[in-house]
This record gives sequence, C-alpha cells and structure tokens, in this order.
Amino acid sequence: MREAVVRDDAATPEPGLLARIAAGDRSTLALIGVLAALVVADGLIDRSFLSLSQLRNTLLVTAPLALMAGGQTLCMLSGGIDLSVAMTATAAAYVTGVQSSEGAVTAILAGLLVGVAIGLVNGLAIGVFRVNPLIMTLGMSGILTGLLTVGSQTFLGGATRMSDLVLELGGGTIAGPIPWNLVVWLLLGGALVVGLRRTGLGRLIYAVGDNRVACRLAGVRVWQVETAVYTLCALLAAVAGILIGGRSGSVDLQLAGSYLLPSVAAAVIGGTSILGGIGGYTGTILGALILAVLDTMLNLLTVDEALKQVLYGCIILVLAWVYARGTASA
Amino acid sequence: MSVVEAATRPLSPAVGLFARRHAWTGAVVAFFAVLLAWNASQTRNFGAFEIQTMLASTLALAYLAMAQSVVVIGGGIDLSVGALLVLANCLTARFMEGTGFGGSVLVAAGCLAVTALLGALTGLVISVSRIPDIIVTLATSFVWGGAALFVLRTPGGGTSPTFQTLVLGSGNAWWPALLCLLGPLLLVWAPLRRSRRGIAIYALGSSSDAAFLSGVDPLRTKVVAYAFSGLLCGLAGTATTAFTGGGSPQSTIAMTATLNSVAAIVLGGVALSGGIGGLVGPVFAVWCLYLIPNIMLGLGVDPSYGEVVKGVVVVLVVLVGGLLRARRSRTG
Repeated sequence: MREAVVRDDAATPEPGLLARIAAGDRSTLALIGVLAALVVADGLIDRSFLSLSQLRNTLLVTAPLALMAGGQTLCMLSGGIDLSVAMTATAAAYVTGVQSSEGAVTAILAGLLVGVAIGLVNGLAIGVFRVNPLIMTLGMSGILTGLLTVGSQTFLGGATRMSDLVLELGGGTIAGPIPWNLVVWLLLGGALVVGLRRTGLGRLIYAVGDNRVACRLAGVRVWQVETAVYTLCALLAAVAGILIGGRSGSVDLQLAGSYLLPSVAAAVIGGTSILGGIGGYTGTILGALILAVLDTMLNLLTVDEALKQVLYGCIILVLAWVYARGTASA
Repeated sequence: MSVVEAATRPLSPAVGLFARRHAWTGAVVAFFAVLLAWNASQTRNFGAFEIQTMLASTLALAYLAMAQSVVVIGGGIDLSVGALLVLANCLTARFMEGTGFGGSVLVAAGCLAVTALLGALTGLVISVSRIPDIIVTLATSFVWGGAALFVLRTPGGGTSPTFQTLVLGSGNAWWPALLCLLGPLLLVWAPLRRSRRGIAIYALGSSSDAAFLSGVDPLRTKVVAYAFSGLLCGLAGTATTAFTGGGSPQSTIAMTATLNSVAAIVLGGVALSGGIGGLVGPVFAVWCLYLIPNIMLGLGVDPSYGEVVKGVVVVLVVLVGGLLRARRSRTG
C-alpha cells in the first residue's frame, strides 16, 4: 500500500483504508490528497522523481523517521510524549558501532538492549513514580547527552564504524527501488498497526490516553501499560538509530538530533492527538511520507534551508488546523 | 527538601499562607545559596568577577526561563522560545553590526517590538485555531528558525562594545547584568501580576473553563501572555548578541535553549499543569543549573557529567515535588 501511494496518485489502498475512506474518514482522505498532490508536484518539477532510484531514496529517508514517529505515536496515544527518542537512537547507534568488532548480531542486540533499558527507566518513572512524561524524557535526553559526551572519549571510544550487516540494513538495496530498511519498517510498522487495532495492549493504550482515571477504576494496571509504551517507543527509536547509523556509516553525537521534532510532527500531521486517545499509526505513516516527499520537493526546487524550514512549519500548522476543524465539526 | 517541610508548617494563618505560596521559591533560593557557597569554597578569591561571569553568561537563559514561565503559568507550553531567541539574536547581530551605542539600543528596541508581536501572533493563532499550544509552537519553532536563516545565513554580525558593557558589565561590575534582569521583572511583570490581566493568566492556567465562566477573556489573556513571553525571548536574543558579540542561526542552539528553559521552570516551581509558580524561582533555577557543572569541575569530575547531574536533579525534583504536593492535597 505504501509503495502504491507513493508511485501513483490513483492509489489502490488496502481494504482497511478503503473502508475508512468509505466511512468518510476526512482526515485520512485529506492526508492522502496532500500526499498525492505533493507526489504529482514533484513529478511535474522533475520527471526523474518518479523514477525508481529516486523512489528508493525517498523510502530510504522515510523508514527511520516513520519508525521513530511510530514510537512517538504510541506515547502520544497514551497521553504522553517522548522527547528522548533522538538521544535514545543516537545511544543505540553508538553502542552498535562500538560493539561491531564483536560481530554484527551481538552489536545490534547490544544496541537494542540499550534502547530497552532507557525505555524501561522512562516508563517506570512515568508509570510508577508519576513523573510528568515531558520532564522525564527531557531529563533522560540530558542524561544521555552527558553520558555519550563523556563516553565518546572514554568507555565508548574506539571504532565507531558500523559492521557490514548494519551498513547493508541501513543503506543497502534488495532489488530495484526496495531498500533493506523498508523491510525492517514494513515488519515493525505492520506489527504496530495490527497491534494497536487487535491486541489488548493496543486497546489499553487508547483507553489510558482517553481517560486514565476511568482505566484505573476499571482495574487496568495503568503503570504496566505506560511502562510497555515507553519501552516499545525506545525500542523503535533504537532500531531507527541503528538504521540511521547504517546509512551514514559512522556515528557521532548529532546523528539523530534532527529527527526529534519531525517525529512529533509526523504523528501530529497524521492526526494523532497530543492529548491522547485519538489517532493511529496509519496516519503517522502518511505523515512521515508527506514530510519525506515534501523534503525531496524542496530539494528538487533547490529551495534554500531558510524557506524550507518556514514552509515546513506552515504545513504542520495548516494540517493541524484542518484536522482540528475536522474533529470539531464531526 | 527539609526546607519545604519547615516552611510549610503553619505558624499563623497569614504567615502560613505566605510561606506555603513561596515555599518552593524559598527552597530554590536556599539550594542556590548552598551551591554558591560550595562553589565559592572551591575557588580561591571568589568574588565580584565570578558573580559577573555567572550573571552575564546566564542572562539569556534567565530571560528565556521567564518567557517559558509566563506561558506555562497561563496553561500552555512554548516549544518555540529557543527559536525566537535565535531569531532575535540574528536580527540584532545583523543590524547592530557597525552601529554605535545609540544605534544598537534602537535596533534592540525594534527587535523587542518584533518578537513581542510574533509572540502575540502565536497566542492569537492558538486561541483562534484551538490547536494545542505544543503543536502550534512546534510549528512556529520551524518558522522562526527559518526566518533566522533568512536574516543571517552564516554565523556573523556584530554589536557595539559599549552596548555589550552596558548590558553585561565587565570585570568586577556585576550589577549591570542584574539590573537588566530585574528590569522586565519590576517594570512589566510586577504591575502585570497585580492587574486583572495578570490574574487572568493564572486563572486561565488553573482552569480554563472556570476562568471563562468567571468572565476571563481567554483570547485576550492568551495573547497577553504570549506577547510578554515574546518580549522576554527578544530580550534573551539581545542578551545573547551582547554576550557572544555576534549572531548564530543554528537550530541546535534553539533546541538546547528550549529544553533548558523547560528544565529551569520545572526546577523553579512552575507547575506544568498551569496556574502555579512565579518568575523569580526559575531565574534562581537557571543559576543553580549553571553552578552544577562548575562545582563538578572544582571536584575534578569531567564537567560533561554536569548534563547527567542536571537531568537527574530535574527528574528528582519533579518526583519529590509531585509527592509533596500530592500529600499536601490529601492532608489539607
């Protein structure tokens, strides 16, 4: 479905999406419309945008962002936010890079383990000790920045070159326009969409975001749900970080910093409410694709960075406004 | 935290109320005093020069923490304060370059007008669109960052040295920076806080529905809060120009500054849920956050661990503060 949407605007979406469109889900429709318009505009500006290699480039950029935004979506659905995703991703990439001499699989596992550990601390502090999510993840971001700054000179020093497997996963191609990181994204993204819709935990995440007190009174162990949410979010961020590290080949402290605000933006554009309980991962995927295609378009137009950022901000604002009006009138 | 305990024990009703209201600020001031004494004991000949360095290098962040406080007290949160600081920094650095003292002051005044207007505009958009504050300011942070790049493509610009000395002081003269900091507090915030408009900001932050039903105009209140916040961001940008002698349009500066402002207000006793706190606590919190890495340097620890300690302190303060507030609301 994702390739279909990117390739041509007369998309043939999956049944779930089709049903939602038929049911008059205006925000999803609007998003697909915006995405289609952007793709057509890109194609008109430069014919080569619709070529396979350009498509591959767009997908290559989208996958890590969409994964990180997926974690962010989970947090936002439960009524929180995670401002430590960028540093979590950087930390995971760092550890993977340093451990790459131990073998690729060990290295990746070590990176993911770092993500899980960070997420557990966040989740337990937020769920059990009731620290405000904004502050907890902000504090965690600061703690990780300090540790990595010191660590890069001492215990995390040495080779930060990624192993071949990670390089292949982050930037390699399977066939034609399909990069390896798309496969990782499809697997995890699919699990996320299904998990949010069909599993008990998925429904509990929506319920906790909608009304925490009611959940507690109904016997939901809210702290377990929140711990799971932040752990999953950090795990997704770790995967994204390893993919980003694999694409760039080496790691530094600024590796994923530029992904933090876009990860929130993608979820917001996709219609996930920052207040919790409303939204889903399908919207976030569209949001991430819109951001990626928009980025490509502005690059094709050789727009300078200044105008790019202004446009970026305006688009977030306009889409959020359209979305707010849509829910208000519904 | 024993300071809070001692301060909250009611003596007589009026004193008890005063103490309870200012318990957090008192605790932060005490914490600052301890840190300052600690740092002073580490440094030989600790004196006016060290104080001047502290005041001058924290002036921008102190303004920014105040800017964030006003918005959070009014029930919002502003992720664009850092970007607005960078924009003001670039504006002043570009247009102050090559001017004399008078020109620099004129440019600073113009810049403050611009940022106050941008702040008011943000408040207006939030009120009219009913999009959550955090989303609108996320979007505007991109816009201001882009605008800053328009104004100043690469780090550069300049300012007049007289202006720098007047704002920050130099050598042992620590009072200019302190006066600059007290200016907006005494001239704008003190009257505002006692006025209808200021009380409306607190009311809106405590409960927007109750405030609306009591006749508070949410739109006007939001605009006033964000306009004042914008003005303070402009001051922060101008202070940055004075401190660094130039402008730099990097988005990482904006990001770090915003995150630091949120950490400072939380440490300074402003509740993120709105309606609670003041502007003095966050300023002391900024100074505390400045002293922590210095003290660690004095102890022979890598100051990069300062970030770690800052993060832990902020999280612990929120944790303990939350527990204390919860206990107080249960018992009283």
